[in-house]
Amino acid sequence: MAGPVTTPARQARSVSARHFVRLKLRVMGNNFRGQGWRVALFLVGSLIGLWFAAGAFFGLASPGLVGDDRYALMIAAFAGGLTVLGWLLLPLVFFGVDETLDPARFALLPLSRRTLVTGLFAAALVSVPTVAVLLALSGLVVTAAVFGGWSAALVTVVGVVCGLLLCVAGARAVTSAFASMLRSRRVRDLAAVLLAVVAALIGPLQIAGVAAIQDTNWDRLSGVATVIGWTPFGAPWTAGIDVAQGRVWAAPVKLLITVVTIVALLAWWSRSLESAMVGAATAGPAKAGPRLTGGVVAQLFPRAAGWLRRDRFGALVAREARYWWRDARRRANLITIAVVGLFVPVMVNFGGQGFSFDSEQGFSAAGSSSPILVSVSMLFVGLLAAVTLANQFGFDGSAYAANVVAGVPGRLELRARLTAFSLYVLPMLAVVAVVVALVLGEPTWIGFMAGALVATYGAGLAVNSFVSVLGAYALPETSNPFAMNSGAGVVKGMLTLLAMVATAALATPMVLAAALLGDAWLWLGLPLGVAYGVGAALLGAYLAGDVLDRRQPELLALVTPRR
Amino acid sequence: MTGEHPALALRGLAKSFDGKVAVNGVDLEVPAGSFYGLLGPNGAGKTTTLSMAVGLLRPDAGGAWVLGHDVWADPVTAKQLLGVMPDGVRLFDRLSGAELLAYHGLLRGMDPAVVDQRAAELLDVLALADAGRTLVVDYSAGMKKKIGLACALLHGPRLLVLDEPFEAVDPVSAALIRDILQRYVAGGGTVVFSSHVMEVVQRLCSHVAILAGGTIKQVGTLEQVRGDRSLEDVFVEVVGGRTATGEELAWLAR
Repeated sequence: MAGPVTTPARQARSVSARHFVRLKLRVMGNNFRGQGWRVALFLVGSLIGLWFAAGAFFGLASPGLVGDDRYALMIAAFAGGLTVLGWLLLPLVFFGVDETLDPARFALLPLSRRTLVTGLFAAALVSVPTVAVLLALSGLVVTAAVFGGWSAALVTVVGVVCGLLLCVAGARAVTSAFASMLRSRRVRDLAAVLLAVVAALIGPLQIAGVAAIQDTNWDRLSGVATVIGWTPFGAPWTAGIDVAQGRVWAAPVKLLITVVTIVALLAWWSRSLESAMVGAATAGPAKAGPRLTGGVVAQLFPRAAGWLRRDRFGALVAREARYWWRDARRRANLITIAVVGLFVPVMVNFGGQGFSFDSEQGFSAAGSSSPILVSVSMLFVGLLAAVTLANQFGFDGSAYAANVVAGVPGRLELRARLTAFSLYVLPMLAVVAVVVALVLGEPTWIGFMAGALVATYGAGLAVNSFVSVLGAYALPETSNPFAMNSGAGVVKGMLTLLAMVATAALATPMVLAAALLGDAWLWLGLPLGVAYGVGAALLGAYLAGDVLDRRQPELLALVTPRR
Repeated sequence: MTGEHPALALRGLAKSFDGKVAVNGVDLEVPAGSFYGLLGPNGAGKTTTLSMAVGLLRPDAGGAWVLGHDVWADPVTAKQLLGVMPDGVRLFDRLSGAELLAYHGLLRGMDPAVVDQRAAELLDVLALADAGRTLVVDYSAGMKKKIGLACALLHGPRLLVLDEPFEAVDPVSAALIRDILQRYVAGGGTVVFSSHVMEVVQRLCSHVAILAGGTIKQVGTLEQVRGDRSLEDVFVEVVGGRTATGEELAWLAR
């Protein structure tokens, strides 16, 4: 570096993927510094991940361990296919992608797009989930080795690694594309529709799958497995099994399918990456529009919140209500609730026999649903809706300072936030209850289903009020609604899990009532459920508000992103 | 009743982050009706000090009083008298300017009619009315500062605490902000603001404190601190800056 450099600088040293990986590890390490609890949560999360991975490993290795190769292909195709599907969809629906390395940060550096994509791709591979999946699917290697010797094992190793690359590339490409779609305000409705379509596709597939298993038509199923094996979903995982079963010619073709898919996904990703970097989707400065007419107060209140009094509570609700729609991150959550809230109950109640918990009633009702099963699925929807608020202050980030400076009492703050969120969620829950009841052909169930929904939702609001005050964490200030800090990923998962378990515990009375009270519950369900839910939410806001009063500055520090 | 109290009093404020001391015992007394400049280089602890003074950051030790009301023991009263514009903190920027003002006004418990009237005036004076329904997130840096100032002023506070109000502001907007602040002080208000732009401080302030390394190095009226030198000379001397000798960075010359 030193020395006279009056001549043009030497050829810059090329940047390789290694630099990105090291950068990511360094950023992750620095995130942990001085945050013992984060390290602890990360370790616990990793251990849980590895535990499940080990279980899956033995599951996938079982054909080999048992020595029965009839189901080897089927297991590889279905398990692998589900893995790919999970990598594509779960980031959209639940978890978000780890954006430790935000692409926008690299916009100013003289890096070719190819370098950037391979670098970010390599960095994305360094994560706990990839390690866990790699471990789990290595079970296939055992199976292949038992039936086909070392050559089959070798092909399987290559296949599993390629499959993992496919998963990661797919997850990145899909979330990146969705992120740029959701960023631009014009196409957000299109994005919502698309998500709904994707989700709607899962539903029938699942139902068909469950039905197929029930028929126990193994021939048909192995036919499906063969077909899946020739799609990118199953190709990487089944190549080694093909070798083991004597179809050596299939292996190179399947690996080729995989590689072509990976390249295509990376190309897609790199295109949407570009728009993420230059912020092409920010849609420029918004239209100035006409000058203001009427008072500013009237403008703050959306029409749906027009009935509110023009006071502190009203202002808080109005602002939150506007934010749930205008903030891409929050909007993504609302869409998730709407989509998952509809298709999960339908799925569970149609293919409900898969729910081992309740298999007895399910079978005795000859394939149709039961009040208990419906209550359980409603419980899940209410729980999912409420858990969205687990990091409600994190959505605000440092903007929360305004409320601290104004000295908003904690109880008022929480009550207002719960009210604003409910403006969106309660109508959705009503739709869920009506639609599911009609689809099941049991319109008389609407009452207690709505009751169970509201009760769970209210109990969830109470639980999540506490979680949001005590366990808040900062979200990165990017416009990618799916982004979150690494480390926070595990934290988020643990907190979400905790909140969900607590909510489920609080809501079990609704399921018990459905089981014990019989027909009376059809009439009592709605009033009791609503009373239970509203009471729980108010009590939660009351108690958590007290905690919030004592730790407003601490909460602000937690949700302020470190720069 | 508040007449005999200083507008803002800080006693022994201290804060450290992860064992690193950011503010190390700051005592400050801001007389009512003064225009007080808090000077300091980057990383001196200005933002940390002001955050602790207005109740955004809990101090490790010490306390803050606004017109005699303890910010940490009696936050409700103290915060009513305060208007704050923090730096490096986002506004609720997915609201339009008008919506943001309405939000702040109602949050302060103001009458809606008064909010309407004052907000319209502020938007007009600060030349933000033309922005219409543009969201604050799409505002320019200068416009963001101006709407932040409007939010801090809306409820008519007795003490205004501003963190870097002139940073990233163009000269036209800066002049406007200066005018407004001068009128506010002339009308009996008190302003405390942080800056590292000597020229602005020299032009506006009646009192100055120089903060470096987490402690107050020099404090007093502008004349006391400055003496017969320029404020910049005093500042560089107090802070202990260095000037480039010309030996290093030779490669900058081509």
